[in-house]
Amino acid sequence: MSALAHVADEQAADDRDGLGAALDALNLLILRRRDDGRFLRLNAAPDLTGLLGQAEPFAHGGITLAGRSAFLDNFLVDAMQFWLAAAPGRIHSGIWLESDARGTCRPLAAQAIVSGTHQLLVIQQLCEDYDERVQVMQSARNHSLAEQALEREVMRRTAAIRQREEEIAIRLLAAAGTRDQETGGHVRRIGLYCAALGQALGWDEARKADVRVAAPMHDIGKIGIPDNILQKPGPLTADEYRVMQQHTVIGASMLGDSEIPVLRMSRDIALCHHERWDGSGYPRGLQGERIPLEARIVAIVDVYDAMINRRVYKEPIPEAEVLGIMAEASGRHFDPRLFALFMQILPEIRRIRASVPE
Amino acid sequence: MMQLKLCMVGTFAVGKSSLVRRYLQSEYSEQYHTTVGVKIDTKDVGIGADATRMVIWDLAGEDAFCRLHGTYLRGCAGYLLVADGTRRRSLDTALDLNTQIEAALGPLPFVLVLNKEDLATEWEIPEERIAALEGRGIRVLRSSAKNGDGVAAIFAHFAGARALACNE
Repeated sequence: MSALAHVADEQAADDRDGLGAALDALNLLILRRRDDGRFLRLNAAPDLTGLLGQAEPFAHGGITLAGRSAFLDNFLVDAMQFWLAAAPGRIHSGIWLESDARGTCRPLAAQAIVSGTHQLLVIQQLCEDYDERVQVMQSARNHSLAEQALEREVMRRTAAIRQREEEIAIRLLAAAGTRDQETGGHVRRIGLYCAALGQALGWDEARKADVRVAAPMHDIGKIGIPDNILQKPGPLTADEYRVMQQHTVIGASMLGDSEIPVLRMSRDIALCHHERWDGSGYPRGLQGERIPLEARIVAIVDVYDAMINRRVYKEPIPEAEVLGIMAEASGRHFDPRLFALFMQILPEIRRIRASVPE
Repeated sequence: MMQLKLCMVGTFAVGKSSLVRRYLQSEYSEQYHTTVGVKIDTKDVGIGADATRMVIWDLAGEDAFCRLHGTYLRGCAGYLLVADGTRRRSLDTALDLNTQIEAALGPLPFVLVLNKEDLATEWEIPEERIAALEGRGIRVLRSSAKNGDGVAAIFAHFAGARALACNE
C-alpha cells in the first residue's frame, strides 16, 4: 500500500469512527439488511445493541432480528414489503416501549429505509423529545377529560331542570285536572308516547325532552271551561260544544307568545291538537302539514290513550278495536305517515302504557 | 409454548394500561398516565400442554392526536375493545374503532369491556344500550381495574378459563 493510500484509509476510518460516535450519541442504531436476511450493524450504539439482545453478538456474519422484540418482528413484516418494493423513501414503525433485562422501559422508534441498493433499518431511542411528547399528550388529554366532565355536568344539570319543568307542568295540570275527567297517568303517558314517536322520527335529545314536557299541557285550556260544560255527563249541545272547543284557544293564550322553546311547543300543541289532517278539525281548520308536527303526534296518542283506558264515563275499549277505529281515521283525522310510525312502535307504546298506570 | 397475541384497543383514559397492570401485577394507580406508543407485556398461563404465553399489546389510546395503526393487530388472536362506563363517548369511539378494524382486517374475535364498574353512581351507559349490543352478538364484559373485579375474566375469555385456573 502506498503512503498516500495509507493516509487516505486512516482518514476514512477516522471519518467512520466520527460518524459512528455521532450516531451513538444520537442513540441511533443503523443496520443493513443483507441478501440472506441477516442484519449487519453499521455503528456500535451499545445501549440499543444490548436492548435487542446479546445472545448473538453483532459481528462478521450479522445477526437475525427475529424473536428479539415482538414489536420489531411485527414491523419487519411491513419493512420487508417496503424493501422488496425498492421504492425510495422510508416507513415508520411508530413508537414502542421496549423493556431491558432490568425491566426498564425505553421508548424506541424504527424506520425502514431504501438508500441506493441498501436496505437499512434505523432504530432510535427517543429521549427528551419523547418526554416532551408525553407531557403534551398528557396535558391535552387531561384537558379533554376535564372538558368531557364539564359537558357531563351541564347535561346532568340540564336533565335536572327538565325534570323540574316536567314536574311543575304535571302539578299544574293535576290542579286543572281536578275539574276534568283526565288522570295524572294520562297526561304523563301522553308526554312519553310523544317522546317515543320523536325518537322514531330521529329527533335530538332536546326536542324529545321538550315534547315530553309540552305534550301533557295540551288540554290546559280546559281550566277556562265552565264546570257545567266540562263535567256534563251527557252529550254536549251545539252551543256547549262550541264553548268546549275554546279550550284550545284558551290554552294557547295561557301559554302565550314565549321565546322559550318548550312553551312555544306547548302553545302550538294546545292550539292545534284538535286540528285534523283533512282540515275538518278546530279551531282554525288547518290541513295536512300546516298543522304543527307535535300537535299531529298528540292528536294520535291522545285518542289512543283516552279510548284504551277506563274513564268515569266509559269502559276501556279493547286495543284491537281502538287500533281499527284509528286506522279508519288515518288520512282523515290523523297524519297517515305518523299513524304508520305509531303502529311500528306499538310495542314501545304498550311498554309505556304498562309502566305508567292511571 | 403456544403464544396468544391480544391487543388492548380503545380511546384514551378508559383504563387499558390499568387493566393490564392489574392483570399482570395486581397493582393499580389512581393517577392517570397516558400511554404514548405501544407497550408489550407477556404472561404465561397454564401448565404442560395447556401452557400459553399471552402477549398483550397495550396500544396508545385513540384520539385526535393519535390514530390506531391497523398493522399492530396483525396476527392477534383477538382484541379487548375497552370503554369507560362513565363516559358514553368512549363507547362510541370503541364502536367506531371496531368498525375500522373490521374494515381493515376483517372480523376478528373481540370482547367489549366496560371498565370502571366501581363507579356505578357515575355510570353513563344505559342498560338498554348494552342489551342492544349483546343483541347484535357482541360479548360485553364488565371490569374494574381499581378493585380487580372481572379483570381475570376478560383475559380468560381468550386464554381459556382452564389454562388460567391452572396458573392461579
